[in-house]
Amino acid sequence: MKVKTKLTLLALLATGALSTLSAHAAEVVQRGGTLVYGRYADSNFLEPVLNESNNDIWILSNLYDTLLLPTDDGKGIKPGLATAWKLSDDGKSLTITLRPDTKFSDGSPITAQDVKWSLERAAKPGNGVWQFLVSAIDNVSISDPHTVVVHLSHPDPAILSALTVFNTAIMPEKQFEAEPGATDHDKAAAFAEHPVGSGPFILKSWQHNSTMTLVRNPYYWAKGADGKALPYLDSIKFEIVPDDATRILKLQSGELDGAEFIPYSRVKELQGNASLDMKLFPSTRVEVGSVNARPEIDGKPNPLANPKVREALNYATDKDGIIQLVTFGIGKPMTSFMSTSTPLNSGTKPLYPVDVEKAQALMKEAGYPNGFTTSMNILAGNEDSLSIATGLQQMWSQIGVKLTINQMDNATLNANFRKGNFSTRIGPWTDDIADPNEITSYYAYSKNIQALHSGWKSDKLDQLFEASQKETDPAKRKEEYKEIQDIYNSTGPTIPLYESSYPVALKKDVQGFVQIPLGNNIFTSTWLKK
Amino acid sequence: MTEFSYILKRILLIIPTLLVILVVTFTIVRLLPGDPASAMIGDRATDADVARINKELGLDQPLPVQFLYFVRQVATGNLGNSYAMHAPVTSVIAERLPVTLLLTGMAALFAIVMAIPLAFVSALKRNSATDITIRGASQVTLSMPSFYIGLVLLTIFAAQLHWFPVGGYGDSFGQRVYHLFLPALTLAVSITSVLIGSLRNSIIAVLDAEYVTFARAKGLSTRVILMRHVLRNSLIPMLSLFALNIGTTIGSAVITETVFAVPGIARLMVDSIFSRDYPMIQGLVIVLSVLVSLIFLITDIVQVMIDPRRAR
Repeated sequence: MKVKTKLTLLALLATGALSTLSAHAAEVVQRGGTLVYGRYADSNFLEPVLNESNNDIWILSNLYDTLLLPTDDGKGIKPGLATAWKLSDDGKSLTITLRPDTKFSDGSPITAQDVKWSLERAAKPGNGVWQFLVSAIDNVSISDPHTVVVHLSHPDPAILSALTVFNTAIMPEKQFEAEPGATDHDKAAAFAEHPVGSGPFILKSWQHNSTMTLVRNPYYWAKGADGKALPYLDSIKFEIVPDDATRILKLQSGELDGAEFIPYSRVKELQGNASLDMKLFPSTRVEVGSVNARPEIDGKPNPLANPKVREALNYATDKDGIIQLVTFGIGKPMTSFMSTSTPLNSGTKPLYPVDVEKAQALMKEAGYPNGFTTSMNILAGNEDSLSIATGLQQMWSQIGVKLTINQMDNATLNANFRKGNFSTRIGPWTDDIADPNEITSYYAYSKNIQALHSGWKSDKLDQLFEASQKETDPAKRKEEYKEIQDIYNSTGPTIPLYESSYPVALKKDVQGFVQIPLGNNIFTSTWLKK
Repeated sequence: MTEFSYILKRILLIIPTLLVILVVTFTIVRLLPGDPASAMIGDRATDADVARINKELGLDQPLPVQFLYFVRQVATGNLGNSYAMHAPVTSVIAERLPVTLLLTGMAALFAIVMAIPLAFVSALKRNSATDITIRGASQVTLSMPSFYIGLVLLTIFAAQLHWFPVGGYGDSFGQRVYHLFLPALTLAVSITSVLIGSLRNSIIAVLDAEYVTFARAKGLSTRVILMRHVLRNSLIPMLSLFALNIGTTIGSAVITETVFAVPGIARLMVDSIFSRDYPMIQGLVIVLSVLVSLIFLITDIVQVMIDPRRAR
């Protein structure tokens, strides 16, 4: 009996030790292999400065490196091609120490001159739609081969975050300038066909709208957990599969290792699939209803110009209902017009909990006891927008607001939006920079695009935003942003609906992949368990 | 009119047709609501962004100037640069056109292989259970949207049986044919349904014709009658119907290419319209018009060769 017990004990100990060992082994990264990843749409233009769409942006960070990198939570910064940085006391110059001995993917060294040229090109007025993020950069000087000084025309509290954004990627001046073409744009188009960057991967081949293959950059500077150079993967093959159902079928049949933009309606089903790891990465994506706040639309008086009416619409909107209806419970109610993943979000509780009685009272106060008829422009063929609009149609009818839904294609939708030719509209937003200045400048600041083309204006908010753009004291800037959000959330031209995550389904053997809240797909530390 | 002069006249007719298409396309594309700049930058576009992009693209010029520039480009074989993809239109189309040609070619082949025997069986066994089943099935598949047919085929033959890949496009010719098998079958199902009905009717008409009765009276075997008389004569109307269906086939190809992730020009066309990529839309319309004109031309020539009376 005693012997038996001892043996059992020994066996138990051995099993325990083995399982600890195997658990430990599972943590050890394995190198090599190709990851096949299904994207819903192809990139168009792999050039950091002149690109225009998320489909480009979210891949660029794999090919091009920036001086600083966003942290995985999308809120902070970490060293990239720069190892140290120091802002001057007056906030008008930033001294950057470059990482020594870094190389571009063609093996040529990254020089201080490349850094100067890249940053000045990104900051050149008219150079791409993202130029405003680095518009504070006046010029860049070289102190020594490993030190550059970025001179600012005014102090910019978001400058460090801006140096993590794709348009400040460091590119090889000589190779770029050697491209054929007379203009910067022509050269960029030629360069983007065979990009030379210093990111973890290199573009090997690209059949537009079909496949794109990236291979590991042997000159990449960062080291992995095993002390050797990153990335772990030999290559990534992106397959463009626009149809959601087909993308999931390809994943289930083993043709893909990962697939993005899983429809919310399928998330639960894939969570139940033992061979898959259904991820919901936190994002800065918010879905909002925009309201035209101009006194007149098309020469007719606009009831939506009345702040009480907008407040009534907000109280009549059952956000939780919409979250259930559209995101199957995956979304979260918004606490401010910016997502909770955006730095300096000051929201503490969901905005406008549903209160139909209060909404009715507000409509009465506003002079519309019997309601009115209005319309909502949405993207044709977009199931989410249609679900939201039909939900709102039913919800708003309780306060007498009759909503007609106009479905239109994206170009028409945007053109009407830009011209202020709409009553209400549904649309999403994702930040590109780990700072609240981008969303605020578009959503709330009247001098940029008239507060998201709504025609709404708050002089106080405009002043606060302008001050916050130059405020280098973090505490003061936080205060300014709190006030901006209080003004906008209480009187602004939006119906905040929900913030959501990025649904990505991966095979169980895919490790270390991350989509950060800004949307970037980071494959640098991704590896495949064999 | 001789057959030769008929064919020559048909070839020359293509030129004014294409000219009209150029003018109509140019005008319609610009009449679409929304502009390329807004489509490119999205709802964040400022007025300054839009103005800058319009200037870069030459869209700030008056329409007649833009048209002359366009005609000059086309005349030199240059279809311009895609706004969205920042690449020459000709090279993008050259990359995608073979995909759609192979897909529609395979679909046409499958359709013919399926439609002819089924139509014959249906016509020869008129009003039998087999005939009713074939006609019923073709009515059902005709009314099914092609994305649904595609998804059903994908689920059964790719995801469950693993006989074919779930969409995509291979690297070698053999792989491509393999990858395009299910999408081509999806396209073929709809075409087959259309063809069966028409082919069955024309076979019945030929079977009832006096010359077939005469051939039977002469003692020719059914096989010879079918091959020599019935098939040849009933194929003429099918050929026209087939050519007329090319437009519809391209339309169905949009959905088929999307469901099966096939990088062809049908999907490119839709993407380009959504992004108001004027040069790409114009380029595609020109290429497709030439293609369709060629198909009609070839159809007419083949018909004249089968039945020279048509040249008169």
